[in-house]
Amino acid sequence: MANSNGGKNLFSLISQIGGPSVIFFVMLVLWQVIVILLKVPQAILPTPLVIIETMAKHWELLMIHSWPTLSECLMGFGLAVVVGMGLGISLAFFPKFHNSVYPLIVAFQVVPKVALAPLFIVWFGLGTLSRVLLAFVIAFFPMVVNTYAGILSTDPLMVRMAHSFNANRWTVFCKIEFPNALPYIFSGLKIGITFAVIGIIVAEFVTAQKGLGYLIVFAEGNIDTPLLMAAITVLSVIGVVLYAAIVALEKMVVTWDVGQDLH
Amino acid sequence: MTEAHVRVENLRKTYQTRTDEIEAIREVQMDVAEGEFISILGPSGCGKSTLLMIVGGLLPLTSGTVAVAGENVSKPRRDTGVVFQAPVLMPWRTILKNVMFPIESLGLREEEYIDRAHELLEMTGLSGFADNVPSELSGGMQQRVAICRALIHNPNLLLMDEPFSALDAMTRDLMNQELLRIWEEYKKTVLFVTHSIREAVFLSDRVFVMSPRPAVISEIVTIDLPRPRELAIEETPEFNEYVAHLRGLIEH
Repeated sequence: MANSNGGKNLFSLISQIGGPSVIFFVMLVLWQVIVILLKVPQAILPTPLVIIETMAKHWELLMIHSWPTLSECLMGFGLAVVVGMGLGISLAFFPKFHNSVYPLIVAFQVVPKVALAPLFIVWFGLGTLSRVLLAFVIAFFPMVVNTYAGILSTDPLMVRMAHSFNANRWTVFCKIEFPNALPYIFSGLKIGITFAVIGIIVAEFVTAQKGLGYLIVFAEGNIDTPLLMAAITVLSVIGVVLYAAIVALEKMVVTWDVGQDLH
Repeated sequence: MTEAHVRVENLRKTYQTRTDEIEAIREVQMDVAEGEFISILGPSGCGKSTLLMIVGGLLPLTSGTVAVAGENVSKPRRDTGVVFQAPVLMPWRTILKNVMFPIESLGLREEEYIDRAHELLEMTGLSGFADNVPSELSGGMQQRVAICRALIHNPNLLLMDEPFSALDAMTRDLMNQELLRIWEEYKKTVLFVTHSIREAVFLSDRVFVMSPRPAVISEIVTIDLPRPRELAIEETPEFNEYVAHLRGLIEH
């Protein structure tokens, strides 16, 4: 089980990360070699070393634009988590509410929400609010669906067991349905954080005020591909770190065996 | 005459489906004395689990009355403990925390029952597993945890719904023996649903035989075998006479 053996965990962590790291490094080397051998112009595809150099040179600029991206992403994601889980729980609690609202939520999910960005600018302006709301509407759906599905997946016999010991609705929710839903909720969080990053970047493309998305568009306008790639790299690192943070939290919270369907 | 611990009168249970009404239990009468070990024996799907759930207040009845300790049952009672077909342990809780769940949901003081939880775990040979999680235990051990959980709040009535049907034959024999040991120790009234004839004879004071659906109690057989019983009793001619008699009742 988890946390039973520190040394063993460290070893499995290294073996887990080791394989992908080696492959990633080999790909970078191949990239470097091929670009040099084929004499690909820097404006088309800079080498990894050039990208790293650019990152070092423009570090301050990259950081200035990373903070708004990171903070607005977390705001949109946080909003999606709170509202999405709240709605998911309400859907599970009130079947009538579910019957009338769920089809609308699904219908809304079909709308390509990236297309809403220009509309949000019309409504909410070029500021933080527009970007946060776009991240929110994209990240919101997986939170609702996973929370709802998680609660619904509770073994009816376990609920009956709780009833046999006089558990009320609230106890059943807190002590059985919610913990049972946690692995599903974490799946939703992992999808949601990825979606929130997409939402913010698209919103930054469109609003063109600040942030890594804006920097990407700006660098593209100047045909500064190394800076463009440097911004994408920083953005990827932010995405990976956010995702890893959720995985780490999941490892701490969901310490029990979950059926294979969620792995 | 003393009041029966469990009294079922003219019990009828029907289910409404979309097209028609299904009669699960036609007519059941039962009188169970305090401290008696009763098996309800019948083929699969005959409604015996439904009967048990109604006595537990977990399913509504259609007509008739079910009374425990002289009071009509309409919802789960605090003095009843139920063991289900599956252990239904919460995988996110330790064994001890699983056993303590009824104390939480009944709103009792946990510190007053923690010693009893350890005592029950020791009684069932699980004292070394209090801090383990359910997935680390075998099926038989998990069902023993479920029995501890059903007994933690010191109920007078224990309802058991085919608790050992998912276990292999050898584990099942051991569990039956252990259950009798616990019963001798605590002297609860037990209603035990099973479709195993040998299990019913080995455990019970009386066996209520249920007919296939729509269910009625077709026969009540008193098992007059000495207690405490060991597995060796299954080799005796008396035991096998009971088994043969019950098999005849079910197969006819």
